[in-house]
Amino acid sequence: MPRKIVIVGANAAGAEAAVAARKTDREAEIILVNKEDTRTYSRCGLPFVLGGQIPSFENLIVYPPSFYRMMKFDLRLGTTAVDLNTEAKTVELVDKEGKTETIEYDSLILATGSHPFKPPIDGIDKEGVFSLHTIKDGEAILKAMKKAKSAVIIGSGLIGLETAIAFLDQGIKATVIEMLPSILPRLLDRDMAREVQLRLERKGLRIIVGKAAEAIVGNERATGVLVGGEEIEADIVVVAAGVRPNTELAQKAGIEIGETRGIKTNIRMETSAKDVYAAGDCAETTHIITRRPALPLLGTAAVREGKVAGVNAAGGYAVFPGSLFSTVSQLSDFEIGATGITEFWASRFGLDVIVGKISGHTRATYYPGAKTIKVKLLVERETKRIVGGQIVGGEDVTQRINALSLAIQMNMTVYELAKADTCYAPSVCETWEPIVLAAEMAIKRL
Amino acid sequence: MVKVDDYEVLEGLYYSKDYLWIKVEDGKARIGITDYAQKQLREVVFAELPSVDDEIVKGEPFGTLESVKAVSDLVAPLSGKVEEVNEEVMDSPEILNEDPYGNGWLILISPTNLDEELNDLMDFEAAVEWHKELIKEG
Repeated sequence: MPRKIVIVGANAAGAEAAVAARKTDREAEIILVNKEDTRTYSRCGLPFVLGGQIPSFENLIVYPPSFYRMMKFDLRLGTTAVDLNTEAKTVELVDKEGKTETIEYDSLILATGSHPFKPPIDGIDKEGVFSLHTIKDGEAILKAMKKAKSAVIIGSGLIGLETAIAFLDQGIKATVIEMLPSILPRLLDRDMAREVQLRLERKGLRIIVGKAAEAIVGNERATGVLVGGEEIEADIVVVAAGVRPNTELAQKAGIEIGETRGIKTNIRMETSAKDVYAAGDCAETTHIITRRPALPLLGTAAVREGKVAGVNAAGGYAVFPGSLFSTVSQLSDFEIGATGITEFWASRFGLDVIVGKISGHTRATYYPGAKTIKVKLLVERETKRIVGGQIVGGEDVTQRINALSLAIQMNMTVYELAKADTCYAPSVCETWEPIVLAAEMAIKRL
Repeated sequence: MVKVDDYEVLEGLYYSKDYLWIKVEDGKARIGITDYAQKQLREVVFAELPSVDDEIVKGEPFGTLESVKAVSDLVAPLSGKVEEVNEEVMDSPEILNEDPYGNGWLILISPTNLDEELNDLMDFEAAVEWHKELIKEG
């Protein structure tokens, strides 16, 4: 009898798990269940359809139907897993016609994802209030954008800012409201966030920090948002206050939930129930620096965890080392990135860190098109290890974040980074690589 | 050669529904993957093929092709003994994407039951029709 693998969720983590499972076991029966009635798509691409860089939501769909056929995946769209019995090893599915089916599994992967957090704001259920989590959400916002002149975005995470920029790109006046003292609080410290805020304000985005949205006003339909006593006009309100893991099915089945409210997993992405794995936004993993439970909520973590869960569910052996929360994004005409921990999180976790900071250029200053770039490096005082990096710059942020992430993963000290043998040509970079200079700045403060 | 949608189908070959082509050469059979198969796999990064003198059996896997996002068993369209293996494909699997009907051939076999087993394969006209069906299914 071939092994029977059921995967609940078919986006970043679920689809990657299915591919890894098929590569590990060519005979296995692989059932891929998706609550949404859409084939695997890239959620991270949603804001770029709103901004017009991507012509249609269809473009975000990763594979044609033939791919699922060739990989022998039994893809069930519009199907929800409503019950899981980890003793009998069965899962109950309800399809789009409402038909119920109980199927047995040898191994099961929970890739149930997350849902947008809905803060308790008066009027949040009014018409014209959206979140951006699914293609359906995106289509609704796109439709509303056709007649909109103004928008308010509640929350300044990456989805919030990317959506705000999409509105600006389409000629819609946009305001971002962040309750915390600075934007991108998960990614950047206040000094770096300030730099991002200034750049975005120059682009015409209004940003209000340190104030919570008090109410969404309007009769049935939202017409504005009340913040700090001011009513800001808004034909569209997007709530982008983060996401929460979908753990209902796991909880119902008695599977252990961790302190981050994600499904607890070990390094093989196994949950507390035998032969049940979890991966992606719903799964709690470990932070590589703090060694504490962590919830990355990132596409990159999702595919890595999914691959590990898929290999293990199919009888192979693979481990996930934890996450550094490495992140990058392009906002308007500049890029931001971060990896490891921030000063804020370091103090939260009791890590004694010193900072090295530098402003540089992305090409020789005499070469046309050189752009500014700011690097902030965090070093643990006792071990001299690099534990975090944040970069804001006109270009070439991605591969610098990748280099820093690699340095952190390899336990590199700041002395080693200061001696890194980096390359140089006037048209593509400066003689002294900014991350190397930031390391030198950190050493001065040791 | 005709193009069905974006996929090339060649005259003078036989085809299996496991996305392989078969060329009969003086009683021997050369086997490779179709243009459709290589386009579905995208960049092939790894090829596992049998050794010379191995026996392959119709309907059973004789090797594997792997790309970054996909994997596919090579299911034998005919039974027989492997005479030649395309070593170049194992060293540089990208030639499967560049030239699936030519330099990207996989193995040459001495079929043990050629006449009978050929009846189960598609000829060019049938393969064109089959490709049209594949495209309809998406």
